[in-house]
Amino acid sequence: MTKTKLFLIVLYLVFSTNTYSQYSGIKGIIVNSFQKKTTQFKDEINFSKMTSFFEEDKWDSTLVYSTKQLANKKPELNNYCHYIRGIIFFNKKLYRKSKSELLLINENFDLKPMKNLALGNASLELLEFKNALHYYKEVEKLPDNIKKPILKNVNNGIGTTFIFLKEFDNAEKYFLKNIAVDEAEKNYISLNISYTNLANCYYEEDKNDLAFKYFEKTYYLSQKINDYNAKQLASFNMAVIEEDRGNLKKALAFRKEAEKWNDSLNDQNKVWAVADFEKKFAVSQKQKQIKVLEIENELKNNQRNWLFFSAMSLLALLTAGIYLYAQKVKNAKIILLQKNKLDELNTTKDQLFSIVSHDLRSSVNALKNSNAKLTATLESKNYEELNQLIIQNSGIANGTYSLLDNLLHWAMLQTKQLYFNKESVHLYSIVQQIEYNYKPLLLEKSIDFENLVSKSSFIFVDLDSLKIILRNLLDNAIKFSNEKGKISFATADTQNGFWQLIIKDNGIGMTQNTLNELLNDSELLSKKNNSEIIGTGLGFQLCKQMIKKNSGILAIESEINKGTTITLSFPKTAQNG
Amino acid sequence: MDNINVLIIEDTPEQSEALNKVLLANHYNVVGIATNYTDALSLFYQKTVDVIIIDVFLNGNPDGITFAETINIVPNASKPFVFLTSSQDRKIFERAKLTKPFSFLMKPFNELEILYALEMAVEKFYEQTNVFLSEDQNTVVSNDSLFIKKKNALKKVALNDILYIEVEERYCNIITEKEKFVILISLTKISTLLDANQFIRTHRNTIVNSNKIEEIILADNLIILKGNHKIKLSDTYKDFIKKMNILS
Repeated sequence: MTKTKLFLIVLYLVFSTNTYSQYSGIKGIIVNSFQKKTTQFKDEINFSKMTSFFEEDKWDSTLVYSTKQLANKKPELNNYCHYIRGIIFFNKKLYRKSKSELLLINENFDLKPMKNLALGNASLELLEFKNALHYYKEVEKLPDNIKKPILKNVNNGIGTTFIFLKEFDNAEKYFLKNIAVDEAEKNYISLNISYTNLANCYYEEDKNDLAFKYFEKTYYLSQKINDYNAKQLASFNMAVIEEDRGNLKKALAFRKEAEKWNDSLNDQNKVWAVADFEKKFAVSQKQKQIKVLEIENELKNNQRNWLFFSAMSLLALLTAGIYLYAQKVKNAKIILLQKNKLDELNTTKDQLFSIVSHDLRSSVNALKNSNAKLTATLESKNYEELNQLIIQNSGIANGTYSLLDNLLHWAMLQTKQLYFNKESVHLYSIVQQIEYNYKPLLLEKSIDFENLVSKSSFIFVDLDSLKIILRNLLDNAIKFSNEKGKISFATADTQNGFWQLIIKDNGIGMTQNTLNELLNDSELLSKKNNSEIIGTGLGFQLCKQMIKKNSGILAIESEINKGTTITLSFPKTAQNG
Repeated sequence: MDNINVLIIEDTPEQSEALNKVLLANHYNVVGIATNYTDALSLFYQKTVDVIIIDVFLNGNPDGITFAETINIVPNASKPFVFLTSSQDRKIFERAKLTKPFSFLMKPFNELEILYALEMAVEKFYEQTNVFLSEDQNTVVSNDSLFIKKKNALKKVALNDILYIEVEERYCNIITEKEKFVILISLTKISTLLDANQFIRTHRNTIVNSNKIEEIILADNLIILKGNHKIKLSDTYKDFIKKMNILS
């Protein structure tokens, strides 16, 4: 019997500690009120650590920090520390120490009912039943709303105490109270405890039938709940009671079942340990996976970046390539155009070259022949003919000279080496200077030359190019004039900032075709159909370009056998004294 | 009226000879012919020179330009000059052009061209362009002389030789101690070009060289000049006498 009784007490205590581990139960109340204190005393690190360790059921650590907190001498928190120490000592089955610790709590503790409950429990464990009853009653006296959360525990305590005091009726009353509440709440775990306690009560009272009934109830209830401990105890109790009733077979079966549950309990503990380990393993596995994934992600990112950059660089390369290709095509086009132009120019030059060399050749040849004749004439001492020949020679030389001069200026103009400087020029004087050089030629052809240029005409041109223009035009006029012809240079003031220089001859003139050819801006030389008197056209082309360079305007009127009139317009010198 | 003194710097004897001939024929006075840079400089400083004809190339080097540059940097020493050249090389021209005032003559040239070039050089140098060839003026005024175009050639008269100038419409009678002649220039133009402190207006149409005044007879409104020239003094222009008193 003693053995059985012991078991019953143990049963009760185990369950009472188990309730601590449920937040909704007493532990929940403690943790909640402690956490409130923690937020109130934020600076007390020891207290908050103590609370969190208690929450995690790390009792030793909780004890250490409670000691530290007590050393801090914070009187407002001392009660809490003593209380928590009391609870922990109780759980460590150091009941006396627990009781003395709880007794250190003063009257101001706001969890006083809890303290009394704990003191009751401790006293009960120490078999000080009267004291236990006193503490429980202290709680019971309180109003319903305050005692409610711990009422069941108190009832259990009182009931158990009454069992020890052999006041079974009282005990039964308290257990029945609890059963009523539990049945109403359908709290099977709690109900299980209550049934067991009531069964115990009846057992002690030797009301074996009633005890059997409640043990059986407990047993069936234990089947429904998932608690190996409860199952084992229920089976064990059933075994004891059957043994008492003499049903040894049944008792044996229950014992075996109890052992099985015990094993299961151990297994479950192992399973929990394994599960815990597995959980940890799974967590670490997951962690590893996450790490792997992270690395993979990073790799992917890197790859993506690399792809992106390589795509970009490829694109850039492509663009550059296209651009360069376009440039190349453009350049090729330009080069082709330039080549065509160069070819054209080269053809012109070749043509010019052949014409000029032909002209030079014939001129020099004429001079050679003339010289031979000169020698012959000198021998015959025919002085009249000699003079004639010398005049002829100088004419040839002059013609050749002007051809070469034109050629030189043409070349310099083409290569842009010609010095060009506009200044104020007195047109009359220049015409006079040009005429001076052609006096022998004019005389030879008996051409009447008239300089009718206004003496007040100053034009703003480059003197040297003006001379070239006038020389060529006068040369042409003489060339295309008949013997005893007439050439005149005259001016007209156009009143729009230009002086017109009118060069008029009554020579052989030109057809409209020739005129058009002359005025054609193409750099190709007009073909010659009369090699006797028509030159290369170089002189006239040169004139046109020089006139253009001097901002002048050229106009020609011509009629076959009546003569040609060339009108040049040049800007006047700005009048500033 | 004096002839113009010309210095020729030319290394080719035929060219200088031809030039000499043309200049003499047109009553110019050739003071010397230099064939190199050193001779040219010494002749330039020894003789009285009015115009210089410079060949750009002397013995193959553009020493002509160097000479022009040399006389150009000495203040008040420079004289009008003409470059002769047979090359239209741009580089040479760019360098020659820096010796302002720049005038040049291309070879070969004829008589008319050289005379024209000399006139242009004088005009440009004294910054009185379009004078000799215009129909209403024939005189360029320098700081010490008058350059006057007579027929085809230039002549000069030293300002210090002038006694007084008498204006007659578009003409001016220049009276010196030795002679009297007519130049073509307007009164306004000549009075702006002459030094106002030396040449003083005494009458509506008379300008007197104050250095030649010997006596002023205020009672008769008369000025007696050197050589006993008597000039009228009008009341409007009497003020200059006060100035003279201050000056003397």
